[in-house]
Amino acid sequence: MGNNKEVLSRGGMQFFSKMSASATHEIKNTLAIINESAGLLEDLSMMGEKGKPLSPERVNDISQRVIRQVQRANFVLKKMNQFSHSVDRKTQIADLEETVCFVLDLASRLIEMQGVVIKVTSPLSRIMVETNLFYLENMIWKAIETACFAAKEKKQVVISFGTDVAVPSIWFSMDLVKDNLMDDLFGSKEDCALIAHLNISIKKNKANYSFGLLWPKRFNPITPN
Amino acid sequence: MKQAYQKLDVPKKNSVEMPSKVLLVDDEKEFVLTLSERLQIRDMGTAVVYDGKSALDLVHNDAPEVMIIDLKMPAIDGMEVLKQVKQTWPEIEVIVLTGHGSEQDKKKCMDLGAFTYMQKPVDINLLSKFLKKAIEKIRTNQ
Repeated sequence: MGNNKEVLSRGGMQFFSKMSASATHEIKNTLAIINESAGLLEDLSMMGEKGKPLSPERVNDISQRVIRQVQRANFVLKKMNQFSHSVDRKTQIADLEETVCFVLDLASRLIEMQGVVIKVTSPLSRIMVETNLFYLENMIWKAIETACFAAKEKKQVVISFGTDVAVPSIWFSMDLVKDNLMDDLFGSKEDCALIAHLNISIKKNKANYSFGLLWPKRFNPITPN
Repeated sequence: MKQAYQKLDVPKKNSVEMPSKVLLVDDEKEFVLTLSERLQIRDMGTAVVYDGKSALDLVHNDAPEVMIIDLKMPAIDGMEVLKQVKQTWPEIEVIVLTGHGSEQDKKKCMDLGAFTYMQKPVDINLLSKFLKKAIEKIRTNQ
């Protein structure tokens, strides 16, 4: 059991590190754009001193660029701050769709790098589960990462939610999958520890290239606040 | 055919030779376009592409003297571009400019033949200095 906890913690640390590295890289990119924009203004003003007039439209364009990058960095920081608070409570009630969308925002750069388009189909009503939020986010990221890797040619993934309210579930569907990938889904030690900790099961549907994360059947669904 | 490398039509400030064909490769469009304009202001001719495949296509059709490449890009990443360019066109000097560099990445890039390895945000004067050194090296080897 102790060993399982260690594996779970190590996997969690890897997940946190990956998200932090992605976020800091994106912030660095925004700083690089702001740096070049300030430098360009300096260049243009020096050219202005030498007689080449500086147009107000040009200055406005550059200042708008800086504003956009500040907003972009602020968005990344807000998500990262929210993510850091995921570990505040041992368990809490989480909305599955909200959590999926949050992880997609958090990892947007990593997903973009893989050139995969992900579409989320909303459930008919909100699906809530009581869980450890950090490890739920970790599991959703693992599923997204797997689905992105699996999506063979069309590079499209659809995330949907089960319709049976008694059995909460998240489904990841691809148009095609890389060979044999469905055979050894989530087989690593880290994956198994995470699945056991969240008390979920994995259902593969090879025929239509999808897999799902399923919570145990329950008789009293959790209602949203 | 449209000229790939654009240069500002401004009188030269000095006689220092700068590269006339610099290819910038980065998926951060606003970054790379702004940097390109700043290099043009400094008497350089530049072309911009946003992914590794377009970079390799342009190198094949109209080879640059110097390339400035980011490492993390979708599909073909900067490391792969560097590897392919140095294998096929060893005379092209490649400056790696990244926001996500580790010491391991730096070593790998230098082993693959990068001219230098720089971190974003970059000091334009330092970058210009390296571009000038790169073109001097190319001229010496010619």
